[in-house]
Amino acid sequence: MKLRTARRISQVFFFSLFLFFVFVSDLRYYKGYPISLFLELDPLVATATAITTHTIYKGLLWSLALLVPSILLGRIFCNWICPYGILHHFIGWLMGKGRAEDKVRIESNRYRSIYQTKYIILIGMIIAALFGSLQIGLLDPICLFHRSMTTAILPTLNLIFPSTFYVRQNFYVGGWVVGFFLFLLVGMNVVIPRFFCRVLCPLGAFLGSIAPAALWRIERNPTKCVDCDLCLKNCEGASDPHTQLRKSECFVCFNCIEDCPEDAISFKFMPPLQHEVTTPAVPARRALLGGMLGFAFFGFGRTSGAQDRDYDKKVIRPPGSVEEKDFLERCIKCDQCIRVCPTNVLQPAFLQAGLEGIWTPILNNKIGYCELNCTLCGDACPTGAIQRISIEEKTGVGKFAEQGPVRLGTAFYDHGRCLPWSMETPCVVCEEVCPVSPKAIFSREVTITKRDGTDITLRRPYVDPALCIGCGICEHECPVTDEAAIRVTAIGETRSRDRRLLMDGGVTNSVRELEQRKR
Amino acid sequence: MAFFKSPGGEKRGRNAFVRTKVPLAERVSAIVIVCLLACIGIAIAIKGRHFDPNLYSLRTDALESTTTAVEGKAGTLRAGTGVQPGEEGTTNTPKATLPPALPAVAKTSAGTSGEGGGDESSTPPAPATPATPAAAASTAQAAPMDINLPGIKPMGKTEFYNPDNLFEKIDGRAPAYLGFNFQSLRSRSFSVDGADGSYVDVYEYRMDTPINAFGMFALERDPAGKPIDFAPDGYSGELGYYFRQGAYYIQILASDQNPQTVAAAKAIAVDRAKSIPEDNAGLDGVRRLPVAGMVAGSVTFVPDNAQGQSFLKNVFQASYDYDGAKLSFFIMLATPQETAAAWKSYQTFAGKFGKEGDLPDVQGAKIFQAESFGKCKVIYQREGELGGVIDAKDAEKARKFVEEYLQGKIK
Amino acid sequence: MNTTPGSNEDENQPRENAIGRREFLIRAGAAGALITGSLVAGRKLWQPDHYLPGFEDQKGLQLPDFRFGANKLMPSMAIAHGPDHEKTVSAAIGALGGMSRFIQKGDVVMIKPNVAFDRPPALAATTHPDALRAVAKLVFAAGASKIIIADNPINSPTGCFLKSGLRQVADELGLDLLYPETNSFSPLQMDGEILKHWTFFHEPFKKATKVIGLAPCKDHNLCHASMTTKNWYGLLGGRRNQFHQHIHSIVSDFPMMMKPTLVILDGMNVLMKNGPTGGRLSDVKPMGTVVAGTDMVAVDSYGYSHLLERDIAELTYIHKAHDRGLGNKNWKEANYKEVQV
Repeated sequence: MKLRTARRISQVFFFSLFLFFVFVSDLRYYKGYPISLFLELDPLVATATAITTHTIYKGLLWSLALLVPSILLGRIFCNWICPYGILHHFIGWLMGKGRAEDKVRIESNRYRSIYQTKYIILIGMIIAALFGSLQIGLLDPICLFHRSMTTAILPTLNLIFPSTFYVRQNFYVGGWVVGFFLFLLVGMNVVIPRFFCRVLCPLGAFLGSIAPAALWRIERNPTKCVDCDLCLKNCEGASDPHTQLRKSECFVCFNCIEDCPEDAISFKFMPPLQHEVTTPAVPARRALLGGMLGFAFFGFGRTSGAQDRDYDKKVIRPPGSVEEKDFLERCIKCDQCIRVCPTNVLQPAFLQAGLEGIWTPILNNKIGYCELNCTLCGDACPTGAIQRISIEEKTGVGKFAEQGPVRLGTAFYDHGRCLPWSMETPCVVCEEVCPVSPKAIFSREVTITKRDGTDITLRRPYVDPALCIGCGICEHECPVTDEAAIRVTAIGETRSRDRRLLMDGGVTNSVRELEQRKR
Repeated sequence: MAFFKSPGGEKRGRNAFVRTKVPLAERVSAIVIVCLLACIGIAIAIKGRHFDPNLYSLRTDALESTTTAVEGKAGTLRAGTGVQPGEEGTTNTPKATLPPALPAVAKTSAGTSGEGGGDESSTPPAPATPATPAAAASTAQAAPMDINLPGIKPMGKTEFYNPDNLFEKIDGRAPAYLGFNFQSLRSRSFSVDGADGSYVDVYEYRMDTPINAFGMFALERDPAGKPIDFAPDGYSGELGYYFRQGAYYIQILASDQNPQTVAAAKAIAVDRAKSIPEDNAGLDGVRRLPVAGMVAGSVTFVPDNAQGQSFLKNVFQASYDYDGAKLSFFIMLATPQETAAAWKSYQTFAGKFGKEGDLPDVQGAKIFQAESFGKCKVIYQREGELGGVIDAKDAEKARKFVEEYLQGKIK
Repeated sequence: MNTTPGSNEDENQPRENAIGRREFLIRAGAAGALITGSLVAGRKLWQPDHYLPGFEDQKGLQLPDFRFGANKLMPSMAIAHGPDHEKTVSAAIGALGGMSRFIQKGDVVMIKPNVAFDRPPALAATTHPDALRAVAKLVFAAGASKIIIADNPINSPTGCFLKSGLRQVADELGLDLLYPETNSFSPLQMDGEILKHWTFFHEPFKKATKVIGLAPCKDHNLCHASMTTKNWYGLLGGRRNQFHQHIHSIVSDFPMMMKPTLVILDGMNVLMKNGPTGGRLSDVKPMGTVVAGTDMVAVDSYGYSHLLERDIAELTYIHKAHDRGLGNKNWKEANYKEVQV
């Protein structure tokens, strides 16, 4: 068997595995599958979160399983494992120059200086990470692919094949941006093969930075070589195997070995380096520019105040989330939490959480609500932006009874819209569905004279802010569906010291509680 | 792939050259890699099958903490202060008013620590309050009532009540219990073997202090009750046993007078009395009251402002038959300075409204006698004890009673 | 280990295509180092359990006790009446035994004024500049090496210090004016009724050896009065507006939080109503009194009954503080001295 055949098998395997994980991220099939495995294998996620948080969270240690072979072999990930890369490879072959004449194909695979862009992007992201702003998720291929599947591809497919991926149709606000972005990137394969992988991918840049240390490399024997350039015909990485190999660009796809009619190319252990361009070709000034842009992203993002005083009341984070500044150090915008959420309440934010919060998860209680005995989002989150809390801790029972439940926010009545308060009509669905015991919504009876002169006894609901956990089911079930008469906003969330509402069960005690929550 | 025609001329072709000589090393590596992939696939499949179901649903043993009702604003089970958030106040005010014969008994614990008004915690209280025996008792009372005695079997589940829903069990009697700082009620019925249709009801009312338990017990006391020997305060009636042990007021009620049922009730009563640790804190005053001639069931307790005097606190009082007359005799226990001061104040007060005069000391106790509005009183004071006869018509008998008590002749 | 089918032996180029031993070692070493480095970093940084960052082991600071000059023979509280601001303040301090009883040579003294609002001094909502001037002069005369004034106002700090006239006094006398900057706060830890862990304006106290509280006497809409005890509220940071849900408890926590050397209640002009912000001259009444003492509870007790002329039974926080043993509300029981200028 040839190695290229093995590579093709590997591509089919990992791509199918990825699709399998995406499909099975549904409570019906969930079981124990490691649905975030690709994210945990992603060495850029582990490295970047290690920079921002100074720790490697739980399963992210798996990235070592990928990092070590990459140090030894080079960018095998890009062509053998990366599902996004595989997608581009396939689409590029299908739609792009994969079927053109040899000459066209050879030209399209030469190295171009634009390919240095990904290193500049990577530098920018690393600098931003140094200051505590994690933005790799915007362009990291695994995060991007997971996000695109979750918010755009799967819901669209579900329209055509109802109830395949969800029991009922799911909606994702702003999914169109993600979807079109995906189309754009994949479509660019028509112009430059593997456009994303060569030009934009920060993970590729990361692996390309450590590839120069690899011990196994593509080696061209200049004596045998007749300069026919046929090795370039199917070269995936545009790594110039026909002249001086650029190891940081080489995807180890073995196509060049297959294509060389003179058998001049081989994959060798520690070949001499004089035939290579060993390190990535990035001019220092451009690198500096990238760094400055990364810093600017952090700076301008933070100074807008969206994480501090001017926080949006609708930025309600999933249960188990860490405090906002820490959240932005951890969230890789993979939207796995959004994928697994059984009620469809989690949505990708756009600018509500500020510049740094694009595509991070927030609750939208019009679409769903946070189910009481559910912590799937925390289970799915690979980086700990949403902690893996148990259901006991979320609901505040058992040994967590003293510290109380996790609150996402507080509900407030809009009396003008509420049926019993202003419309002389009985209701209190909100009280009925309030899941906590004792209920956070209570009512008081009042008898009024209606417009038509008859009397009616109504129960008018009130919120007890000390009991409300902000789950949003009241808002979701309120019959005034265009803008509910009871709405949850972010204040009163337990994860944040600054956003408490009440003193008792308020900051002083909760800081103590949070200290005790050291696990 | 040969089906799809692509633009371009003859020179197209995916693989114009096909490599045929594949070295062994490459073949082996390729196969090893494919096997590795297979292993990964199998590992993932196995991992998928094994998972902890508790990840996706609430563990039922964690629900144990929700068996007791939660009171108060914050959804936590902290033992709260009696003060609700936003309200000011440092002491609990009594919840209900009682008939004037027995004024409401306020909490005797100081300040805001201790059990909150109506709060029942099965978890240890907040950091500011050290764990009290009461807290331990409350935990015990949260457990189902299991009585292991031959001849009886539990009939139904244990019922638990707190101050807010006590009325559901005992209806109009509830306010009286609340006035004595009722904490919780645990009640269960037991069927009697060999007596069809017979059963015994057990009611364990837990108050916050032994004094309050005594107060409630005394309030409901049946003057015709027969004394019992297995509890410090108690009596047996026609259909049951009523007694106080520790801070509990226990009622054991038999459904009928069938000898087996009554015997079962007695056995249960003894068992219950044994199951609660003895605690007579604050009831020394009762012990001091002489028993001889006491009208059964007449002991009362007034925490402060007894007889309208601010210096009379924690007063135990009882009625006595003495030499054909009915006398009221009271005792107050406090520090020697307090009783001395109280005695002086009392004397001054008595002097203002009528005749008053010292009587000779008896056994080291100072006595004065006073008469006003046709009634007389004889008040004595000795080391830490103040007491005397009040509202007596016969001054002579009153004086004699006090003297004989002080001499130890009346016990 | 090459994949070409044995053709290399035919060429006479084994030397060129093989790498030297040195290069081999360097490259193998580099790869090995990278791998080892990643493994070590992974092991060291790995967090197998989840946790909440930022709250672990945050030990708060505890303020030192600034009390000094306790003397059974000398009065612990002094009340001075007079028309002139500076003279009355001096008289009150003098009646206590003079500033040198409390301040020694070389002391770094932190004077805590009340500049919560950006009001002109005539409205009596803030510490009067004349009072600060008088106290500062006395402190310097007693030999202090430095005086720091600081407050964390409700209105903007720069505006408050300027419009209340205190910035001018600071410039005039060379006092160190510290604004509440981002890094001036540290977590405080204490076992109060409400105050357990809170962010505190620590910077002015880092080098201070003595603390003097200098407060105006004001009506307060929520807790009835803002005098020397409530003055310390200005040292709290964060979202302290939540404390209004338990205002009396937290004010009674202040004598536990801060044990100052001296407190001075400036009752020369008292804000009788519409406090704590005031806003009209008709709200202000000249009472011509300055009270100085070591017990803020006693000083406030006098202030409420004699300067604000109200019933002390209303003042919940003072009874709380007294019951907790943090001061004596019966100021008459203290060794006090009353003088007339």
